[in-house]
Amino acid sequence: MPVLNKKNDNAVNEFNQYVKPVSLWADAWKRLRRNQMAVIGMWVVGIYLLITFGAGILPFYSYTDQELLHANLPPSFRPSGVVALEKLETRQVELVDALANTGREDLKRDLDRVTAEIAQVKLEVNTNPIHKRVYIMGTDYLGRDMLARTIYGGQISLMIGIVGTVTAGLIGILLGALGGYLGGWVDNLIGRFVDIMYSLPYMLVVIIIMSMIKDSTNATVLGLPINIIILFFAIALVSWLTMSRVVRGQIISLKNSEFVEAARSMGAGSGRIIFRHLLPNTMGIIIVYSSLSFPSFIMNESFLSFLGLGVSAPYASWGTLVAEGVQGMQLYPWRLLVPALSMTIFLFAMNFLGDGLRDALDPQSKNRT
Amino acid sequence: MSRFIVRRFLSVIPTLFIIVTLSFFLIRLAPGGPFSREKKVPPEILQNLMKKYHMDEPLLNQYFRYVGNVLQFDLGPSFKYKDQTVNELIGTAFPVSATLGFMSLAVALILGVSVGILSALKQNKWPDYLAMSVAVLGISIPLFVIGPVLMLVFALVLKWLPTSGWVNSRAGWATVILPVTTLMFPYFAYIARLSRSSIIEVIRSDYVRTAKAKGLKDSVVIVKHVLKGALLPVVTFLGPAFSGIVIGSVVVERIFVIPGIANIFVQAAFNRDYTLIMGDLIVYSLILISANFIVDILYGLLDPRISYK
Repeated sequence: MPVLNKKNDNAVNEFNQYVKPVSLWADAWKRLRRNQMAVIGMWVVGIYLLITFGAGILPFYSYTDQELLHANLPPSFRPSGVVALEKLETRQVELVDALANTGREDLKRDLDRVTAEIAQVKLEVNTNPIHKRVYIMGTDYLGRDMLARTIYGGQISLMIGIVGTVTAGLIGILLGALGGYLGGWVDNLIGRFVDIMYSLPYMLVVIIIMSMIKDSTNATVLGLPINIIILFFAIALVSWLTMSRVVRGQIISLKNSEFVEAARSMGAGSGRIIFRHLLPNTMGIIIVYSSLSFPSFIMNESFLSFLGLGVSAPYASWGTLVAEGVQGMQLYPWRLLVPALSMTIFLFAMNFLGDGLRDALDPQSKNRT
Repeated sequence: MSRFIVRRFLSVIPTLFIIVTLSFFLIRLAPGGPFSREKKVPPEILQNLMKKYHMDEPLLNQYFRYVGNVLQFDLGPSFKYKDQTVNELIGTAFPVSATLGFMSLAVALILGVSVGILSALKQNKWPDYLAMSVAVLGISIPLFVIGPVLMLVFALVLKWLPTSGWVNSRAGWATVILPVTTLMFPYFAYIARLSRSSIIEVIRSDYVRTAKAKGLKDSVVIVKHVLKGALLPVVTFLGPAFSGIVIGSVVVERIFVIPGIANIFVQAAFNRDYTLIMGDLIVYSLILISANFIVDILYGLLDPRISYK
């Protein structure tokens, strides 16, 4: 405005500079990148996702291939034929010693079997390509590659986490936003329902459901056995409760603010106000909460699988692998440690990422621990 | 306050009713039953069995009969263990689970709060970093990984502690150590983090500065001023922690072969032992609901800003 021209208008000061606007997301991204643990967590989670869902095109062994000669091999970088031969030979020496001391009949049969196996492996070790395999994570009791089993087990575990998070997002956001914005009887109805669901000992009910349907049917839906589908469903059913409460609280605190009033005065309807004005402003908290609850879905699934109620053979999840590993852990500790460690590292990374996201997106958070 | 307690207490009844109804029909609707085994039972015997357990009546009659019995604290006969009632089975197993649960909660609380205090006072020094790394570990590792790994290290490799069993076995109270450590670890971790952050917040507040300025000893300030304000979030967490410990005990009792109600529960679910599942579920619901009830009241007593109207 030329009227207000003054002599120091050309001077550079903080009021007449063009400052590049910084969006909320860019700001959050900057804060997140400064948090080293969160960045490491993000990389780890990314690598896990890449490997588990890209397992089909990556050069891993099949997770169902059983090679009984390779049962319970320890982790090693050498070809499996050599490792198996070594293991069998130590077993042979042990058996010969034991036989000399006790002279038990059953040991003799064992010795014969071991000797025959040694002969077979020796014959094939340089010709059969199976003996050229390298099991860097060892094998399980049926001679399946632990690495491949852990990766394919991760597929199911991660899928459950994703299904839980997505349904929690969709249902929780919708019901939370409706209840919070409309208030009145809608809010009351949703609130009471959530309260009752909360007070149910839900995991126990799921244990009952899963044990009832466990072997009653062999039907498959979408190529997955029915009990995995029901497991998905059971976990998704309660996943949204906390999300709806979180969203409801946010919406209530925002719905009387000026920008909503402005939108309403310009004639915006409820739908537009909820989806275009309120929800984008709660997105930060929704993302934070989702990333923090993702590990808990995986833990719930593994918990059921550990009890033998979740995913069953030939499918595997981290929970079933740990449960299998527990059975022989004294002699073959890698069968427990490989799935247990892979799972722990993922949950660890996910927790750090979640904490980092919370600090980045919700700097004034009250639920910080 | 007393009105709140009464109202809160009355709200327990519909919740319990919903739980009983829902699980009763859920269990009955599933295919198969307690008498379907590998070896087929002759139809006449099956009929007699059904008659004995009133299973030949319409489902609604069975439901009302069951609810009537439950109201008289009779959980019925077990379908699987023929000469024992559900009351007897749960009665012998309950003290075991209760001991395990309460010990875990107590250890988690005491250890968690003390570590939280230590961490907060030594903020950003090595004890803090050490404690918080352990806490993050505790939150990320699932129970069924901690349990077997602890068992592998301390019972199988080092042979310091027994692998399984309960106090009445030869090893005595040493059997308790591993299960309690496993069960309390995640909650210890969470409580430590929670109390650390809330203590740090309270330490910066004005009334704590005033207390220090008055010349009170540090120990008095911590115990009388800081803790009272800082423990509120911890009390709120006790409800979820308690239900978490109850659910977690299912896995821990299984790993360490402890004869508690959780072990019975999983077995009963596999055996379709209808009455035993229902009885167990009712006991669990009662525990959870009363735990939440107590936490609510405790919260009101600790925080005068909260008024129950």
